[in-house]
Amino acid sequence: MFKDLIGRSVQRRTILKAGLAIGAVQVASPFVVKALAEEPIRIGLDNPLTGTYAAPGKNEQIGCQLAVDQLNAKGGILGRKIELLSEDSTSGDAGTAVQKARKLIERDNVDFLVGNVNSALAQAMAQVSNEKGVLHIVPGGHTDGITGIDCKWNVFRVCNTTRMEANAVSDLLFKNYGKKWYFITPDYAFGHTLFQGCEADLKKLGGTVAGNALTPLGTTDFSAYLIQARATNPDVLVVLVQGNDMVNCLKQIAQFGIEKQIHVAGTQQELEAVEAMPPEARVGLWMFEWYWKQAAGTPGLDQFIAEVRKRTGGKVPTARTWFGYVTIHAYALACEKAKSIEAKTVARALADMELPPAIKLQPNKVYFRGGDHQLMLSAFIGELLHNGDGDPENLFKVNNIVAGDSIAPSVADTGCKMNMPA
Amino acid sequence: MLQLIVFNITNGLIIGAFYALMAIGLSLILNLSGVINFAHGGFLVIGGYLAYTLTPSLGFWGALIVAPFLTALIGFVVERLLIRRLYGRDPLYSLLLTFGLAFIIEDGTRQIWGAQGLPVSVPAALSSPLSYELFFITGYRMFMVATVAIVVGLLFVLLRYTRIGVRIRAGTLDLDTVAALGVNVRALRSLNFAVGIFLAGLAGVLAGGQLGLEPTMGDGLLMPSFIAIIVGGVGSLTGTLLGGLLIGVASGLTAVIFPSASEAVIYVMMAVVLLVRPRGLLGEEGMMT
Repeated sequence: MFKDLIGRSVQRRTILKAGLAIGAVQVASPFVVKALAEEPIRIGLDNPLTGTYAAPGKNEQIGCQLAVDQLNAKGGILGRKIELLSEDSTSGDAGTAVQKARKLIERDNVDFLVGNVNSALAQAMAQVSNEKGVLHIVPGGHTDGITGIDCKWNVFRVCNTTRMEANAVSDLLFKNYGKKWYFITPDYAFGHTLFQGCEADLKKLGGTVAGNALTPLGTTDFSAYLIQARATNPDVLVVLVQGNDMVNCLKQIAQFGIEKQIHVAGTQQELEAVEAMPPEARVGLWMFEWYWKQAAGTPGLDQFIAEVRKRTGGKVPTARTWFGYVTIHAYALACEKAKSIEAKTVARALADMELPPAIKLQPNKVYFRGGDHQLMLSAFIGELLHNGDGDPENLFKVNNIVAGDSIAPSVADTGCKMNMPA
Repeated sequence: MLQLIVFNITNGLIIGAFYALMAIGLSLILNLSGVINFAHGGFLVIGGYLAYTLTPSLGFWGALIVAPFLTALIGFVVERLLIRRLYGRDPLYSLLLTFGLAFIIEDGTRQIWGAQGLPVSVPAALSSPLSYELFFITGYRMFMVATVAIVVGLLFVLLRYTRIGVRIRAGTLDLDTVAALGVNVRALRSLNFAVGIFLAGLAGVLAGGQLGLEPTMGDGLLMPSFIAIIVGGVGSLTGTLLGGLLIGVASGLTAVIFPSASEAVIYVMMAVVLLVRPRGLLGEEGMMT
């Protein structure tokens, strides 16, 4: 046979052609070839990397990547490697976020979509993921609707709802600080629902709203609002703005010495913002959605902090890092439980799933509520510290860690009517 | 109520002074070079971050002086390498270039100093309010207003009484004639650009003390500055100063009556000026074509 071949004097050109043909077959049918080596599970992260929310977006990305690396080191999900594809959604342009979500789903064929920090962008992305039937976790967009009236079978959320945030601090503020509150509220979806939550709580407790200044997102100068606030002589100045707006607002409150005259407080506070404030601006009573300094012996916590430090140039994890970390691990757990990555099967596995200690990294039971797909996570309530207490990075004194289901409204009250497709 | 209004007018003047500082730099560049510098906010950010980096070695006061000069130097180089090539072309070209530059500066800042905001502490002597009643007038805010007043005063003296100043003003009116008279217009434009950027850098250092640093901080301050120019009148620096103060007061007063419109009111002012007196309050006829 060999002789036969040689005898026919195979030309070099023929071999080249054959080689090319084999190559072409491989290119033309990637699925056949790749199926042998198990195609990786693709996760699409569509989150801000530029603009106002770049810092929280970046931290969520670090948390996601850490979880992906940990899972891959143990063989991935269902024996398949995981690949994290990251896109910049921008901080406020829903059009871009939607376009990136479509790109991730249609062109990159991701099995799972993650995003967004901005509530409005998260809602826009949920429309796309739902239309395409792709499982979607919102790590850090808080507006109620996502797991409320706009809830969807394929959409889950890790961070709190604005209503949960309001409920977490209202009682305490009322008891400790007084009953006349003045609000500084960001003028968009997040701020509106957060204010409504606080207002409802305050009325129930028998207090009064002294005023509510609606400030445009990106306000740099709060002096006019603060003059206004002080003129109404409230017991508590409730700061609901977030991110840089929060930094600017608290900084001016401290410069004007208002915190010495009126109690300053708020709902959601984040380490990213606190680190950007000068010491004198770190005042008031707040809730963190997750905090790194916890009781010694919290399972997995020290290791998590150490791993994150390696990736952030030594900085501690924030709630955002934890959101990203939990999002990926929860997905992996649900896939393993469902023994599938098919969206509907995984969604069913994720509903009512409780997170194990090494993932939840906090006390209390932490689980996804089946009725609205909202994670019941603890609220860390306490006070900001001017300077680190024994540790320059410990800028928050946690007084109380409250279970998520004790501050969440009932599923019926969220307005969510979950329709699980057959 | 009366007290509230007086408070807010004073407060508006303080904010307006800051807008004016930004706007005068923009205005200088626009008048002589016809460049709408969208990267002005970016240079402000550079100034602020440079001051932050220099503060440990030079102290607050040293950084306050050195950082704007370094920013001006960067501006000078940018003008030489990039912006100069687009003089004489449709203003759209330089607008696109500076628009792109703004993004590059923002992302560059994020790359070098990180996406997370950085805190800036001001000297203790400046960081407390002057009185209990007038709590919103802090030492630092008075210092800002004083700095703006001194720098703008010096700039007006420079423009009125020095040879370079006279050339810049003449160039604003008729650059061709100035060039024909033998003035080195290229050098004049570079210098003028650098002065404009110096003001942006100074604004950045001052804003850092007031607001802290953050890569996108220039964005929010740029738009009011453009509006100050349009309201005050293109081509007139006095007009720009007036425009800055006016929009500050207008936004302060609106905050008393209807807080959520305090930002929108400056756009309304711009629209009204454009409809009623398109050249702006003190603008030269025909400068805005």
